[in-house]
Amino acid sequence: MIEVRNLTKVYPGAVALDNISFSVAKGEIVGFLGPNGAGKSTTMRILTGFIPPTSGSATVAGFDVVRQSLEVRRRVGYLPENNPLYPEMRVEEYLDFRATLHQVPRSRRAAAVDNAVERCSLGEVRHRIVGQLSKGYRQRLGLADAIVHDPEIVILDEPTIGLDPHQVRHVREVIRELGRERTVILSTHILSEVEKMCGRVLIINRGRLVAGGPLEDIHNFTATGRIRLDLRGAPSGAREALGKLPGVLNVVEISRGNDRTYFVEPRDGADVRSDVFRRAAEAKWEVLEMGPERVSLEDAFVELTDRSGPVPDALGAAGEKGAGA
Amino acid sequence: MRTIGALIRKELGVYFVSPMAYIILTCLMLVFGLIFSSEAGDAADFGRPFSFGGLFWVTANLMVIVVPLVTMRLIAEEKNRGTIETLMTAPVTEFQVVLAKYVATLIFLLYLLLPTAAHAILVSKYGTLDVTETLTGYLGLFLISSSFLAIGLFVSSLCSSQVTAGVITLIVTFLLLLSSRFAPQITDRTPLGRTTRSVFEALDPFRYFGDFIRGIIDTRPLVYFLSLIVFFLFLSVRALEARRWR
Repeated sequence: MIEVRNLTKVYPGAVALDNISFSVAKGEIVGFLGPNGAGKSTTMRILTGFIPPTSGSATVAGFDVVRQSLEVRRRVGYLPENNPLYPEMRVEEYLDFRATLHQVPRSRRAAAVDNAVERCSLGEVRHRIVGQLSKGYRQRLGLADAIVHDPEIVILDEPTIGLDPHQVRHVREVIRELGRERTVILSTHILSEVEKMCGRVLIINRGRLVAGGPLEDIHNFTATGRIRLDLRGAPSGAREALGKLPGVLNVVEISRGNDRTYFVEPRDGADVRSDVFRRAAEAKWEVLEMGPERVSLEDAFVELTDRSGPVPDALGAAGEKGAGA
Repeated sequence: MRTIGALIRKELGVYFVSPMAYIILTCLMLVFGLIFSSEAGDAADFGRPFSFGGLFWVTANLMVIVVPLVTMRLIAEEKNRGTIETLMTAPVTEFQVVLAKYVATLIFLLYLLLPTAAHAILVSKYGTLDVTETLTGYLGLFLISSSFLAIGLFVSSLCSSQVTAGVITLIVTFLLLLSSRFAPQITDRTPLGRTTRSVFEALDPFRYFGDFIRGIIDTRPLVYFLSLIVFFLFLSVRALEARRWR
């Protein structure tokens, strides 16, 4: 549905996008994740035909974004950053205007507006003036604008920014609903957002794709390789016993109230979970929990997009693999 | 075509939901009415036939102030609010946007000028009205205002602040108004001076406007105003497209 090849965008004095490639299949919800100024909005503006790339190419629904811009724009629904609207218009009037611009035939326009109003729960305010709407309603109107012409592809730039938790939840529902029959790209710098809505994530930083792939792959980045073992009580000699297991390099013991947590670091990435389990069973330790240690997605994100540090090679390679999928 | 229609309706809507349209119309009618009553009184006192010539001159001069008020928001406001992004990512061309905005200002101009025709009806009822002179005068007034509107639209397409757009348009139209005043002051003793002077004389829209007031329709003024309009509309389309060049 969307093919991006070696996309580069240079502004005077700054490189906004540096040789980005990825593709999005039909019916996917892809999250575009990155800190502010990473190049998310620039990518979206290129995909919607608002600005051209400096080099590289992008096709949306089979049409080139530069040479067949009108065809692309006919098939894309776009919610720009900051959700610009005309404050002097009424909600219904605005949607009708936008539907007309998107060439919805007159006979279907009223139905299209009704449908968008209903999907985004704007029924209560449909006769109100846009400038007097609350932020939540305005955001939903922006969403309604993006879908009023029933586009194949919906591109949303920070759709939930500045909303309260109730509004965020509602907007997420609308987006998930959209993802059932459409291709959706959304950008955000909130991680939980991606986890809750997207099937795949592309992490972008300083104009480069630093990681990408299905959400599970991203979770793998967060694994440290250590095994976390929670035991009831404080069995004596557990740390030493674990340390003596073959393939174990190091064990760290942490006291949590009456219980203990052990971080078992294997040698050369060996899987020692079975050995740990058998040792625990033999010694009759009460195992509360065992699993790979994970840093939070939040931490992984900060690490991936750390402005000062270089991009780790392993993650860069994984990113390319994910992008090709 | 439907796209252009929708864009024109939207533009006109903006004028009439804000107080701007009514304020401009009120001021214009007030000035027009005051001058009309004094000139018509003079004509009646001295038994001369009444002519709209003087009134048209004043109205054309007023357009120097009215036009920036009408055009300053056209594109600058879209840029300032960010709606240029939703607008230009819809399947519409820059040409359609510029044309629709320009036609909307022309319709607004007609709305400003039409009520003044009531005075002409009064004159024709209670005195003698030179119909040809009045009609050509109106045509001239419409053309000179239209070319100012095209200039204003272009300036608005360059700015992202309404106020800047308004001020720059005011300066440009004001310089055009004054060009008949300072052209004669440029020396004609050097070749450069002569060239500059003839350029300013050729540019002076009020010189061409004078023909229309006297009831003359010549091709030169028509070509002058129409080419001015086409030229600035072309530049506006280019200015809107400019974001694609970077």
